[in-house]
Amino acid sequence: MVEVRRKTFVVTRFDPDRDEVPKTQSYDVPVQPDWKVLDALNFIKDHIDPTLSHRWSCRMAVCGSCGMTVNGEPKLTCKDALSDYGDTVEVEPLANFPIIRDLVVELDGFMEKLERVKPWIVRAKQKAVQEGTYRQSPAELEEFKQFSECINCMLCYAACPVVANEPDFLGPAAIAIGHRYNLDSRDEGADQRNEIFRGEGTVFSCTYANECSEVCPKNVDPAAAVNQAKFTAVIDWAKRLVLPGPKEG
Amino acid sequence: MDRLAHPDAMRPARPDRTRMAPPRLPARFPFSGRYRAYLLFGASGIPYLLVGLLLLHSIWALGDGPGAWMAVMLAFQQPLYIAFHVLALAAVVYTAVHFFWLFPKAQPPRIGPVRPPPRALIQPMLYAVWLGTTALMAAILAGWILP
Repeated sequence: MVEVRRKTFVVTRFDPDRDEVPKTQSYDVPVQPDWKVLDALNFIKDHIDPTLSHRWSCRMAVCGSCGMTVNGEPKLTCKDALSDYGDTVEVEPLANFPIIRDLVVELDGFMEKLERVKPWIVRAKQKAVQEGTYRQSPAELEEFKQFSECINCMLCYAACPVVANEPDFLGPAAIAIGHRYNLDSRDEGADQRNEIFRGEGTVFSCTYANECSEVCPKNVDPAAAVNQAKFTAVIDWAKRLVLPGPKEG
Repeated sequence: MDRLAHPDAMRPARPDRTRMAPPRLPARFPFSGRYRAYLLFGASGIPYLLVGLLLLHSIWALGDGPGAWMAVMLAFQQPLYIAFHVLALAAVVYTAVHFFWLFPKAQPPRIGPVRPPPRALIQPMLYAVWLGTTALMAAILAGWILP
């Protein structure tokens, strides 16, 4: 017999057609001991209130869809055990993002920032297929592997005090992904990305609060990436200053 | 009512397709949870600014002759100044510990062909340099090294 306990969920609701501002609504939910926060939200949606809107997909902390604020902390709700919380659980949309509806936030702003850092391998000249693959040693892979594990869940953006106040700041995940490509031995686009990193309101806006790394569910450590990116962007700028070659501007 | 973030935070450049609620600040920012450590790190700049002003005041007094200098030295023995200097020392120690915690991971894996020391070594090296410099300065001020 599974022990069922009741918990109260205080959930943010916002209907753009009816509400001026977001409000909260409480739900009394019978929860099972092994449930995650997402299970309770799905229960509400399926059995109590079908109008509740929230995003989710894989249920195994891979897709990054179900990021929300749980009791004030950005969390991946499919990974966040309900047993860690008391009788009342507050679920809100991610901070720092415009709210489309209920727990669903606008992510296009992030997609625009991500595109700016060219999150792909840039080559001056592509090899022909017959020439074979680009080879990489395990040591070269190790240099960027940690940063490549980002799932774009946006928890880092929801925790970052700079994102909250500087709209131009590229933000932790976009910089971590850009830096990941800069460290990739197959890539030749570091100069282009460093120019973007040095641009207005970008990497140097980071004040190293380290909150992005604290909340990251995949241990990507975006704060490390952002601050390494500052370092390499400055080195790259200094090299351009003293060495012959094309200058910025 | 939740506190709001910048109205354009994470807003896309293209026009909104639907009416949206404005972005809100992280719930715990700035005084709760881990943000407190970040805030304290930033606030440690206030004692540094005041120490800098006191230093300028002392140098000014030095230029005004031995009487003015001795007056400053006597003032520094007042409990209020001693308490302030204890606070400044605490700020320095806190800043150093916080910085030494964050600094190692800010090192890129390589700078050109050069690799920085392993992260596990950087932090002890920072502490060693800090303690060594402090000991050297204390020895100089105590007159053990220079007359």
